[in-house]
Amino acid sequence: MNDEFLSPGQRMMRRFRRDRIGMIATACVAVLFVVAVTFGTLSLLGIPFPADPNLTNLEVKLRPPSAEHWLGTDNLGRDVLARLLHGAYISLSVGFVAVFVSLAIGVVVGAVSGYFGGWVDNVIMRVVDAIMCFPTFFLILTAVALMGPSLINIIVVIGLVSWTGTARLVRAEFLTLRESEYVRAARGLGQNSFAIIFKHILPNAAAPIFVTAVLGIPDAILTEAGLSFLGFGVQPPQATWGNIISDGKSYILDAWWLILFPGLAIFLSALAFYLAGDALRRAASSKSETQ
Amino acid sequence: MRVIKFLIYGVPLILVAVFVAAFWNATQLSTNKKNELTIGSIGEPTKINPILSTDSAASQVESLVFEGLLKYSADLELEPNLAREFQLSQTTTFFFPTNESASAAREILMTLSARWAEWTLRNAVVIDRELRLDFLQPGLETSNVIADLISIDPMSPVVQVRVEVGDKARELLATFRAAHPEFNIVREWFDYDAVFEISALGDSAPISEALTAFLAAKKVEKSNVQVLDELQFLAEPVVRFDLREGVLWQDGVEFTSKDVAFTFWALTDASIGSPRKPDFDLIQALETPTPYEVVVTYRKPFSPALSSWTMSIIPAHILEGKPISWWDEFFHRSPVGLGPFKFAEWKTNEFIRLERNPTYYDGAPWLDAVVIRTLPDPIANRLAFETRQVDYWGVDPWAVKAFEDDERFDVFNAPAKQYNWVGWNLRMPMFQDLRVRQAFAHAVNVPEMIKYVLYGNGVQSTGIFPPMYWFANNDIVPIPYDPDRARALLDEAGWKLGPDGIRVKDGERMSFKLITNQGNETRKDIATLVQDNLKRIGVDVQVEIYEWAVFISRFVMKQEFESLVLAWTTPPDYDAFQVWHSSQANADQLNLVGYNNPQVDRLIEQLRQEYDRDKIIEMAGKIQLIIYEDQPLLFLYIPDSTSVIWKDSFRIRRPTPDGWKDTPVEMTKAGWTYYLQWFYRPEYADEMPPAEVAVP
Amino acid sequence: MIHFIIRRLLITLVLVFFISLVSFFIITLTPGSPYPWGELDPKISQTVKDNYRKQFHLDEPIWMQYYLNMKGLFSGDLRSIKDGRPVLERIGERLPATLALNVCAIVISLSFGLLIGVYSARNAGRWPDVTLSVISFAMLALPGFWISYLVIIGITDWFGTPMLGTSTYGTIFPNAASQMLDYAWHLALPASLLALGGIAAQSRYIRASMIETLGEDYIRTARAKGLDEETVSYKHALRNSIRPLITGIGGLLPALIGGSIIIESIFAYPGIGRLGYQAVLERDYSTLVALNFITAALVLLGNLLADILYAAVDPRVRLE
Repeated sequence: MNDEFLSPGQRMMRRFRRDRIGMIATACVAVLFVVAVTFGTLSLLGIPFPADPNLTNLEVKLRPPSAEHWLGTDNLGRDVLARLLHGAYISLSVGFVAVFVSLAIGVVVGAVSGYFGGWVDNVIMRVVDAIMCFPTFFLILTAVALMGPSLINIIVVIGLVSWTGTARLVRAEFLTLRESEYVRAARGLGQNSFAIIFKHILPNAAAPIFVTAVLGIPDAILTEAGLSFLGFGVQPPQATWGNIISDGKSYILDAWWLILFPGLAIFLSALAFYLAGDALRRAASSKSETQ
Repeated sequence: MRVIKFLIYGVPLILVAVFVAAFWNATQLSTNKKNELTIGSIGEPTKINPILSTDSAASQVESLVFEGLLKYSADLELEPNLAREFQLSQTTTFFFPTNESASAAREILMTLSARWAEWTLRNAVVIDRELRLDFLQPGLETSNVIADLISIDPMSPVVQVRVEVGDKARELLATFRAAHPEFNIVREWFDYDAVFEISALGDSAPISEALTAFLAAKKVEKSNVQVLDELQFLAEPVVRFDLREGVLWQDGVEFTSKDVAFTFWALTDASIGSPRKPDFDLIQALETPTPYEVVVTYRKPFSPALSSWTMSIIPAHILEGKPISWWDEFFHRSPVGLGPFKFAEWKTNEFIRLERNPTYYDGAPWLDAVVIRTLPDPIANRLAFETRQVDYWGVDPWAVKAFEDDERFDVFNAPAKQYNWVGWNLRMPMFQDLRVRQAFAHAVNVPEMIKYVLYGNGVQSTGIFPPMYWFANNDIVPIPYDPDRARALLDEAGWKLGPDGIRVKDGERMSFKLITNQGNETRKDIATLVQDNLKRIGVDVQVEIYEWAVFISRFVMKQEFESLVLAWTTPPDYDAFQVWHSSQANADQLNLVGYNNPQVDRLIEQLRQEYDRDKIIEMAGKIQLIIYEDQPLLFLYIPDSTSVIWKDSFRIRRPTPDGWKDTPVEMTKAGWTYYLQWFYRPEYADEMPPAEVAVP
Repeated sequence: MIHFIIRRLLITLVLVFFISLVSFFIITLTPGSPYPWGELDPKISQTVKDNYRKQFHLDEPIWMQYYLNMKGLFSGDLRSIKDGRPVLERIGERLPATLALNVCAIVISLSFGLLIGVYSARNAGRWPDVTLSVISFAMLALPGFWISYLVIIGITDWFGTPMLGTSTYGTIFPNAASQMLDYAWHLALPASLLALGGIAAQSRYIRASMIETLGEDYIRTARAKGLDEETVSYKHALRNSIRPLITGIGGLLPALIGGSIIIESIFAYPGIGRLGYQAVLERDYSTLVALNFITAALVLLGNLLADILYAAVDPRVRLE
């Protein structure tokens, strides 16, 4: 079948479908998504299926995996599997929303910088350089200390700290794309800058931006896990994957299941997103099959 | 091109080979240990100086390198150390308007000489217009009795005034004295150069007015004149220490009373700024009549002061005359003391090595050295212990049973010197009702908390003094777990169950915040359990956890919290002033919950002046009981402190009246390292004198 | 070229000061104060606390504090709020260990990254490449603290080998070689874990770059000329794919100082990352000012170095 007769989008979908690993990874992401949404809803509705993630039962604290508790219990007797499932949506929402925030800022900044060029570009890029040098740990610590360690604050802070990469990428795309013919045509027709940016250039840059977004999600998830590990994450009794590990870190030599399973969940989710994102990137790029 | 290929394929191969070789080498390292004890420490000292340091890492080193005049015995009682003997006495001074009335008073006393033994009165002399009595036992009671008996002629009252001037206190007082010779100022005392306190004869009004006018005339800003007390007499306890002779500092110089005088000077001098100064604020004078005698006169009876002499002594011959910046550079990282181990090396962030002091006065230790390794992560500590990189580990409660059951280890268990509690901010109206606080105490299942949070390694707390101290009241019955009674009490107090399961009173929901600090698993568990227990009786608790620095500065020190989970560490001291006296409830002070009970206030003040052991036990017991009944805190538990060492890695051989006694490492009230000086490794046993008494 | 360097250096200087100023503001605005004693210790008198605040200028306005701290930094006199020792000394004594750890990690990630990247590129699309890709992403997806703890527990449980700190303590070494290997072991483990992410990133860059280069015209020409595949790959393609390596070296400078807090805590390794983390927790403003300044300077200088090297290596790049 001849590729030339398909649109870029269809071409991309075909290449993507041929990529086995990418498909498996995407399937995993889809499963993850479904799990998070399902159990997230259950959690918010207060339905304790398969077990109540917040039910403390001191008689069964720190039990290894067994028939009643498939992944064991934590130091307050809570079922680890239930906490993993009910906490999934938080870890994932941190990933999605933080990336969304960083995307929003990054796209705008990169677009302006790349399209207008000249001194605007210079100034903005120097500012981006400066921000990249910031000790992100301090920012996060300060933000959390000043505003309180709530989920929203953490998401916003992660988003605010990670937009610079996107900005650079978008700028690079815009620098190239603004010289293309249809842009020159549009300018010739008298369309104003913002219309050009949004109606013409952005859609063509959409693919790499989307790929960056997907590849940025696991970074955000890992950052949230790291924050929780250091103790600056979401507060009890709410479960997130990161804070199950940080709660369990003291018991690591006696209750390995508290570290192994949440860590595995984080690892596998991040891996799935990375592989899916990479497959997308390969499918979207116009290079040949050796990519 | 072959070069490139080699670089690409060869370098990683070399790295892998090195890795494998290094790993193999590490597994082959012998477990032959040097004759040393290695301890793991989470923090590192900032400076090693007993009068300046405040972190526990530093005090760990200081306890091995330095010594004080007194120390605590294995039973936690004060006993002589560098002072081979100490003696208490008291001088009570009565002031009379004339020499005749003073002598007359003395005459009266002589007629009562039969009672002198009962009063422990040894001597009575008249000097000018003063009658000075010398008692064997300090205290106010006897002096009060005598005051009544001899006040046929009127005595001059003594007024004590505190004057805050901010600066130049000495200069100002001298000027005031010169300007107002009509006031007979018999005692003066300075708090750095910012405050002076004087004892003057006469009534309070004239002198305090004169002072106020004087300061205004001198245009001293922010000054404050406060009359502290009006007394009939001055009772000044005296402690006399007889020092051991022939004790050598670790650099060979002999220890004398000059070092004690210097230490006292350093503790109270502004340029040094010791945080331990408040313990020594009640000392009027410290004299050293001979190189082996120290006489300390106190401004008023204050029995807790004796324990302050466990403070370590610092060397005058090294530090005197040097500014504190010199101390920082040359002493604080290579100290010289009088203890069993002397400083050898400090590799920053890695370890501090202390070597045996061969001239230690109590006998040189058997071990060659004690090494304190910095291991910032608690898990690292345990791993280091399990790989024999450190010789002991403080066991977490959940691991205690596993170690106890394991024959490879020796486990030591003793109650820690702290108690954990939940504090109710008594400034909140909700917590001001005693029934509410009692209800909460009934609602929280403390025995279960001990069973599950501490895995059984603890006892329920019954008040402010942990049970191992001689003055603790062990007759108090803990409040039982009784949720029904809790509900009844809350109903009685007007808090009825609302439609959402939370109690309501006058439109206010029974809901509040419970905060604690991050980094402490146990406190988090306690908070979660309390939240859960209280929910079952209809109380809504929101738990918030903050980073330590924020927790302390924003909430605790400003007393802006509703309730909190915390613990007090308590040395063997019965003085409850700083935490429980109503005057200490302001910001930056330690009466965090705002407890105010006039009866307790009075008892605390009286206790500070009591020297009689039985009376101390009685009063301390009463204070503990009243506070427990008032429930300003929900007293939770006293945890066990558990340590573990590899079995038989160390033994003790110490001198007893029956000769050298050889025992395994044993637990004392003062901890399992009490006999550290006599620890030895069995493989080095041949180099020691044989044991005359052996315990397997 | 010289113009460019001078201009960039000036801009860098301005930026560094700007960054350190803003960081300082952020840190001092955080609630919490830098007392080196337990605030809940009843025995500390108010006068002592006041003296302490005076000594470290804690009651001055923020911009004044910043100025005094910077003055102290450049005169070498700046002292840590925590223990009164000169800040530069505190940083300096951690330098050797940090350098060792980070240089090791960089060497590992560059060499393994190069190996994997080149091998993947040469076998692009076939199953060794696909497998290695998955493995690379797996290394990126591993949460650092998780894998470190698992490794440590594994080694402790199965071998009982000491691995914390910079050397094994209290043991009598049979010879000097054994002691050297001991140092190497204590360095190798944390450095390897630190390098995981770097290996993955480097290998992806090199692979992508080399694949792109291998598709270029001049490569096809070389092949057409009859040169064997090896020569083509190593001699020609690789030379032009070196760019990522250069970026890596430019990143050396800040990485030498950065370190990883988590790895250093877990392995009780006395590095600078941990120093910074503790300084934040203790609100040791003077140490933080120094660390911030130095880190920012090194990052920007590293960028500058990377740009210069780019220009030197690739004549197509024009520096403005």
